[in-house]
Amino acid sequence: MRTLLRAFRDEVKGALRDPGALLVLVGAISLYAFFYPTPYRREVLKESPVVVVDLDRTPLSRQLVRLADAHELVRVAARAGSLVEAERLVLEGKACGVLAIPQGLERDVKRGAPATVGVFADASYFLVYRQVLTGLAEATGVLSAGVEIRRLEALGMPEARARAFRDPLPLVVRPLFNPAEGYATYVVPGVLILILQQTLLIGIGLRGAADLDLLGNGPLLARATASVLGRTLAFVLLYAVHALFYFGVVARLFGFPVRGHALAAAALVLPFLLATSFLGLALCVLFRRREQAIQALLFTSLPAVFLAGWSWPPEALPGWLRIASQLVPTTSAIPALLRVNQAGASLAHVRRELALLWGLAAAFLVLAVLAQAARQRRAVRAAAPPQRRAATKP
Amino acid sequence: MALGGSPGVLSAARREAGRLVSSRYALVLLVLLPLAGFALVAAIFWNRLPSDLPVAVVDSDRSLLSRRLVRMLDATKTMRVTGPFATPAEALDEVLSGRAYAVVAIPEHLERDVKRGEAPKVVLHVDAIRMIPASILKRDVKAVVGTLSAGAEIQARKALGEPPDVAAARFEPVRSMRGALFNPGLDYLAFLAPALVPTLLSIFVLVGAVNALGSELRDGTAGAWLEAGGSATRAVLGTLLPQAAWFTALGLAATAVLFRLLGVPLRGSAALVALGTLLLVLAYQAAALLLVAASGNLRLASSGAAFYGGPAFAFTGVTFPAFGMPLAAKAWGALLPVTHYIDLLVSQAMRGAPTATALTPLLALAAFVVVLPPLALRRMGRLMRDPSTWGRT
Repeated sequence: MRTLLRAFRDEVKGALRDPGALLVLVGAISLYAFFYPTPYRREVLKESPVVVVDLDRTPLSRQLVRLADAHELVRVAARAGSLVEAERLVLEGKACGVLAIPQGLERDVKRGAPATVGVFADASYFLVYRQVLTGLAEATGVLSAGVEIRRLEALGMPEARARAFRDPLPLVVRPLFNPAEGYATYVVPGVLILILQQTLLIGIGLRGAADLDLLGNGPLLARATASVLGRTLAFVLLYAVHALFYFGVVARLFGFPVRGHALAAAALVLPFLLATSFLGLALCVLFRRREQAIQALLFTSLPAVFLAGWSWPPEALPGWLRIASQLVPTTSAIPALLRVNQAGASLAHVRRELALLWGLAAAFLVLAVLAQAARQRRAVRAAAPPQRRAATKP
Repeated sequence: MALGGSPGVLSAARREAGRLVSSRYALVLLVLLPLAGFALVAAIFWNRLPSDLPVAVVDSDRSLLSRRLVRMLDATKTMRVTGPFATPAEALDEVLSGRAYAVVAIPEHLERDVKRGEAPKVVLHVDAIRMIPASILKRDVKAVVGTLSAGAEIQARKALGEPPDVAAARFEPVRSMRGALFNPGLDYLAFLAPALVPTLLSIFVLVGAVNALGSELRDGTAGAWLEAGGSATRAVLGTLLPQAAWFTALGLAATAVLFRLLGVPLRGSAALVALGTLLLVLAYQAAALLLVAASGNLRLASSGAAFYGGPAFAFTGVTFPAFGMPLAAKAWGALLPVTHYIDLLVSQAMRGAPTATALTPLLALAAFVVVLPPLALRRMGRLMRDPSTWGRT
């Protein structure tokens, strides 16, 4: 226990004198919290530019164009005389979608024949595609409903009944936990948790392995255990403050839904930070020089985002990868913490992830102790002159 | 023979190549990790589209119509119905436990109320924290319920005495035919891999070059380095040359895999994409040079590289487009070479845009290569000549 506290004290003192590590372990936390969300600050993508090809040029077709322009998701940015010209405008990046109104629209509608308008969107950017198609299809739907309701009213049906008649089985969509379906509300809370993991792994890599000889001369494994636990105590205490800052302050600052029970969140954060810290202490023996931790771990945040089950559904991962991805702490921590913090889930709802995180923490603890002990053995052997080493052999 | 004729660049390049070949870390950082990253991206999106997303259904009606609705939902490729759940609260528990992405709540007396023309509402509660499944489910549940609704309307019209063909023609006077331009399969591999692969590449180019240049200062070998190059400019060029060649080859191979093996369409010019790949590599090397020169410190330059290269993907406009970003985010995105490269890749590969549209991104990439090195080289030269600045960590 005393060696553990010693390791804790050494880590705190060492880290405070290490500006390089502090930059990552402390500075990056607030820098990224405010820098990373800037692209998504407007939350919902509105007013995507579309080009209109109106080959009908009747009051009805003009009404459709007005409805499209009035829809919040799109705006009519250009008009083209033909589909070819419209596609050219999209290729030049001047529009992301096309509303194609065929000749004879009004005539067909008046005759009672079904009329079809074309709505096309650039699917090389998926969010744009979704917004443009939704906007244009909804505008067309409004026009169609108006036509049909007027017709039914002409047959003597009151408006409310006509409305029910034309859509006898309506669907109501209620977005849960992110009512405005904001993009920042979707991406940023998960990424914040990822930032905790990545900065902690890199920060520990920068701090490097400890010299276990400074912890007295007990059994090597005991010293390694004390060092891993003591240093982890320091990292977890620091990162508990960061987590509190992210979930308590930053989330409110950005207006993300905060429904979580603080205790449930804390119960998840503890094994998450323990697992991450132990993983960091296991990995750090691989880095012969401290900056290698930054260089080698930097890219891992991109795949980690898509393995964490919230930006890309785990059902879509190949089976082996879905299993392997469980070795990354954020794969369990992000979905569970999002459900607790944003959806108001209870601990019972996240018990699978909670068990997984404790399992990871236990496994990585063993790995970290063995890695640190092995590294110490190597370091001692490398430092000792050959004849002395032979003499101390039992 | 502008560069090849200069022995300074070549001898610095030979010196660096020798270091790279004998270093196990270089093998890991420049070869194994990039390949692992590319393979991970391909594996993650290998299935291209999510399917069988679990949806919890609460059928409070248990009629022919409601059961038909549930069967139709289950029959879609994207959905898998779980349940039955007795109450919405029970179904919501599935969402809160992460076992379902949505709840479809079918009200009591659905069938009766449809027949009475009372328009009973089916409600889709969808977990909007997970946006990709949410948007897929919204689209497909809407399609299923819309089909049933149209069928019910046609029935009602027939009951009013309309002949079947008239009823079928009148139920939706103006219909929309939807179409996807440029990525008709709505394939996530084709959408994200051409953006993620260059983003990963740019990260490795950046840290690889930072490490090569910064190590000379940190290890105090800058004197010998300068000697090998003859001048700071030539020494820097020579040191960056082996990695430039390697990463350009790797980038070309990765794009070839995207186009040839992974089915990402290449509708435009392969030569322009190749030119862009070379410029992307050089642009990030130029940025690395600036980072090392400005910090004079390998560790700080590595931290700078992390800041410049790490969050870049969010600013490239792939997931959230640039025209929806605030000005500051748009400006930062424009300062990242990978933004322009992805622009080039999307317009040339996915869209088959006219060659002229490639000019802007190519010029932007070239601008990094032309503008950054002069900003850095003078200070870099000073650092290389001044031993008192070496060895900082």
